[in-house]
Amino acid sequence: MNSMFRFLKSLFLLELFGGMRVTGRHFWRKKITLHYPEERAPVSPRFRALHAQRRYANGEERCIACKLCEVVCPAMAITIESAQREDGSRRTTRYEIDLTKCIFCGFCEESCPVDSIVETHVYEYHGESRDELLMTKEKLLAVGDKYEAQIAAARAQDAKYR
Amino acid sequence: MKQARGNIDLITPESCAEIDRWISNYPADQKQSAVMAALRILQDQNGGWLSHELMDAIAAYLDMPPIAVYEVATFYSMYRLEPCGRHKINVCTNISCLLCGSEEVVAHLQERLGIKLGETTADGKFTLSEVECLGACVGAPMMQVNRDYHERLTPETIDAILDSLQ
Amino acid sequence: MVNIEINGIKLEARDGAMVIEVADEAGIVIPRFCYHKKLSIAANCRMCLVEVEKVAKPLPACATPVTEGMKVFTHSPKALGAQRAVLEFLLINHPLDCPICDQGGECDLQEMAIGFGGDVSRYAEGKRVVTDPDLGALIATDMGRCIHCTRCVRFGQEVAGMWELGGTGRGEHTRIGTYVADTVDSELSANVVDLCPVGALTSKPYRYSGRPWELVGRPGISPHDCVGANLRADIRGKQIMRVLPQEREEINETWLADRDRFAYLGGRSAERITAPMVKRETGWQATDWDSALTFAAEGLKRVLDVHGPSQLGAWVGDTATVEEAYLTQKLMRALGSGNVDHRLRQVDFRDQEQLPAFPYLGMAIADLERLDGALLIGSNIRKEQPLLGQRLRKAALRGGQIAFINPRAYPFNFPVSQQIVAAHNWVTEVAAVARAALALAGEEIPEGLPEAEVGEAHEAIAAALRSGEQRAVLLGNLAAYHPAQTELRAMAALIARSCGAHFGVLAEGGNSAGAWLAGAVPHRGMAAQPTAVMGRDWRSMAHEGVKGLLLLSTEPESDCIEPLRATQALKQADFVVAINAFASDAARDYADVILPPALYLEAAGTLVNCEGRWQSFEGTTPPPGEARPAWKLLRVLGNLLNAIGFEQLSITDVRDELAPALAVGADNQIPWRVPAPPSFEGGIMRLVDYPIYSVDGLVRRSAPLQQTRDAIAGAVYVAGATLTQVDLGGADRVRVMQGEGEALLPVIVDEAIPVGCVYIPAGTTATAALGGGFGVVEMTHA
Repeated sequence: MNSMFRFLKSLFLLELFGGMRVTGRHFWRKKITLHYPEERAPVSPRFRALHAQRRYANGEERCIACKLCEVVCPAMAITIESAQREDGSRRTTRYEIDLTKCIFCGFCEESCPVDSIVETHVYEYHGESRDELLMTKEKLLAVGDKYEAQIAAARAQDAKYR
Repeated sequence: MKQARGNIDLITPESCAEIDRWISNYPADQKQSAVMAALRILQDQNGGWLSHELMDAIAAYLDMPPIAVYEVATFYSMYRLEPCGRHKINVCTNISCLLCGSEEVVAHLQERLGIKLGETTADGKFTLSEVECLGACVGAPMMQVNRDYHERLTPETIDAILDSLQ
Repeated sequence: MVNIEINGIKLEARDGAMVIEVADEAGIVIPRFCYHKKLSIAANCRMCLVEVEKVAKPLPACATPVTEGMKVFTHSPKALGAQRAVLEFLLINHPLDCPICDQGGECDLQEMAIGFGGDVSRYAEGKRVVTDPDLGALIATDMGRCIHCTRCVRFGQEVAGMWELGGTGRGEHTRIGTYVADTVDSELSANVVDLCPVGALTSKPYRYSGRPWELVGRPGISPHDCVGANLRADIRGKQIMRVLPQEREEINETWLADRDRFAYLGGRSAERITAPMVKRETGWQATDWDSALTFAAEGLKRVLDVHGPSQLGAWVGDTATVEEAYLTQKLMRALGSGNVDHRLRQVDFRDQEQLPAFPYLGMAIADLERLDGALLIGSNIRKEQPLLGQRLRKAALRGGQIAFINPRAYPFNFPVSQQIVAAHNWVTEVAAVARAALALAGEEIPEGLPEAEVGEAHEAIAAALRSGEQRAVLLGNLAAYHPAQTELRAMAALIARSCGAHFGVLAEGGNSAGAWLAGAVPHRGMAAQPTAVMGRDWRSMAHEGVKGLLLLSTEPESDCIEPLRATQALKQADFVVAINAFASDAARDYADVILPPALYLEAAGTLVNCEGRWQSFEGTTPPPGEARPAWKLLRVLGNLLNAIGFEQLSITDVRDELAPALAVGADNQIPWRVPAPPSFEGGIMRLVDYPIYSVDGLVRRSAPLQQTRDAIAGAVYVAGATLTQVDLGGADRVRVMQGEGEALLPVIVDEAIPVGCVYIPAGTTATAALGGGFGVVEMTHA
């Protein structure tokens, strides 16, 4: 009986048609693949990628060298040195994030009392040497300046859940 | 020690005599007990207020650190540390007087004198200040003008008091 | 004793003890801000409110004495509620600036806010705003954070004896500060930083540079005075970030002098070198250890071969550790020379053979505060040994009769029963007290005691030294600098003997006692053993000349009491090896090779304090660059010079060799000798001391300390009458001539200086060109 069924199944190419049906169904469906880099997947406002340091609207850097991010970082990727600036405020003289150590947990962002260190949505960066993956204060501020609009929008969107 | 940097010569002989009389009320090794009296005497000598120099002079005279004199002088509202008018009006705004209408008293005084609390009139006649309870709650609202208490104040009685002052 | 119960635990307490003391002893935590065991009770923060059975209201544990059968509850709902309410009040005006506050992470208020605080403030009104007073170079202020615990005020009043800070105003308007713009100038001032439970008073040099959680605390000993204060160096990475006191009741209690606390900053001086340097024809060159040590050894060898061992000498700084001093003298003696000395601030060595094994305080440091009578001869103890001064102050406040015989009047922060000022006739004044003491004891006047007229003051001093339980005669640093040190010491010991008082010496250097025991003196070896070759003291070396000199951790141009003579001797020498962390211009001039050693806190070592206590410590951080512990340098120098006995592999090997010195007991027997005091007839007499922040190379380079009011400039301090006497009235600069040297110095009129005398401090660059210490000077128009 079984061999009879198998014979008929293969005679009428039933499995082929079954397969074609799946192909046909997906052929007419809306596609989920993207043509990266022309097309990009949407990201959550909480998406965590390349770090940035933010400034206030008047151009003053936000970071006050409280060193909470440094101590909370589980990968010990952050190094900070601080001093009193001439105007008497507490500022970093060195702020470095080693991207080769960073695990993008976002704790630094969570711990920051002034929303200075943030993780942007920029996931397309590379470095050809370790050096390039060491984000200095200047680099971080530059990233912040470039993506401030996006950073601020993401924070505004997420604000009501905080 | 940062002591004796004040200039004792700022104290007039009459004030000296009066301070000495107070000092004699206390044991010989505790002459700083006379600090409150000395501050009052020098305040009177100086036309109603105390300068740093005078407080330093008291410190030197009573052989105590200047900061200890400042502590006393700044603690009590009866010592004034800035120049003030000839007549000092202290309005109580503490709870009893507040309930009985010290706000109107203050408003009336401010309007009549044209100054705010803590200020002195342009002619140097009146200084208006707000103080805490002066212990005359039974006659609230009250104010103290120089050394006299005036109780159960109304705008009319206030005007009468002010008019009587030169 | 009374029996009380805290949280159901039955405890025995001393009569009159406060609840908080009993709880602390039993390890029961009661939160507090204003209470501090070393300060008086103020009970003004109300944080320590606890519930006591049968008492309607919560009581402050710090001001509630225990009573029999008392039942205290520190964690009952009522107590916790009271504590929570107090904290809410304290936080009303406290800013939320913990992220930028240096106290953040080690703040009592922060910790208690976590423990007792709510998470939302109910106070919506504006916070108090307070301007921050400038209290000087050491203390940073953020008075908005102040919670008015008044610990700093009470410290100034009770411990430092400088009531400079106060609480002015009232209620919410209370401000802690100096009221008029003024700095806080006490030599113990920075202790208020430790006392402040919040971030209102913080350390200025440390400001914003670190966080407590990234620091590793390592113990150390302060080498700047003979107290040997225990400290904790907080290290981040390889850098010393700050120095804090380490509690040691019998030495420094919970305090630290500003000098001990901020001296480490001298290590950041631009003059610090981190690689060995050699002087060649082309000038100074940084080089590697092999060539530098070989160069040094060859140079010394050359001197040895050409001039013999008697022309070789070593000057040891009095802050060098025992191990370093020991190896230096061992090296010298192995090379056949006995010329080794550490007493660079002294000029009188006539009685060196009769001296005890090391300068001993004659008692434990803690006993100073129990003295009923004391006579200090030649001491400005408050600035020279601030922590000993603080102990003595306690004795004076308890009613102890503290008297001084000093060449000039110093301001003390405690009641002084007698201060005899004797510049020209110092020896006679001391002799007068000795005569008074002998008369009271009914003893015979020994041969040679100088004639002196006994006055009322002398009799009063002698009488005070005979009454009470504990009395002491202490010889201070000024006596050590004086050419009549022998006479002063002999008479001081005589007074002490006849009064039955302790005799003690306040050693002038941080490790003078250690250097004596290590044998860094020309006439004795390690552990005061006789030496085979009698050497020359530093002064004979300087005056008669030596051809080869080894300097260990000293800068003779500032450290020596005769700076001009010392530098000239160094310049005339053929070869000078300087083991010193700093390459000053002077050192570059006279030295041929500079070997950078590790500074204190960077290397292991041992210091011996004035009570003969040996305190060993480890390095807290590796020395920068190529700098190496000095004992290693000396050990390799020994090897290169083929000296015997330089096979130590670790510092413990050196310490093992020092075992006999450790066994030397403290003894202060000074035999009477016939004095022959020098005279200071004719001319103006110079009075001298080392100002508190000029005592050693590290302190002199600590920038914050140099900005304080105690950093005395090199100048001529003189009374107006003296100026008129020499026809210099009104001059603002004068030319001062002393011995071979002369210097152009500003004049500061100071009526506290006796007439006929000038006070010119030692240890400063401006006075380095002068010929000596105490002595006759001439002054002319600039």
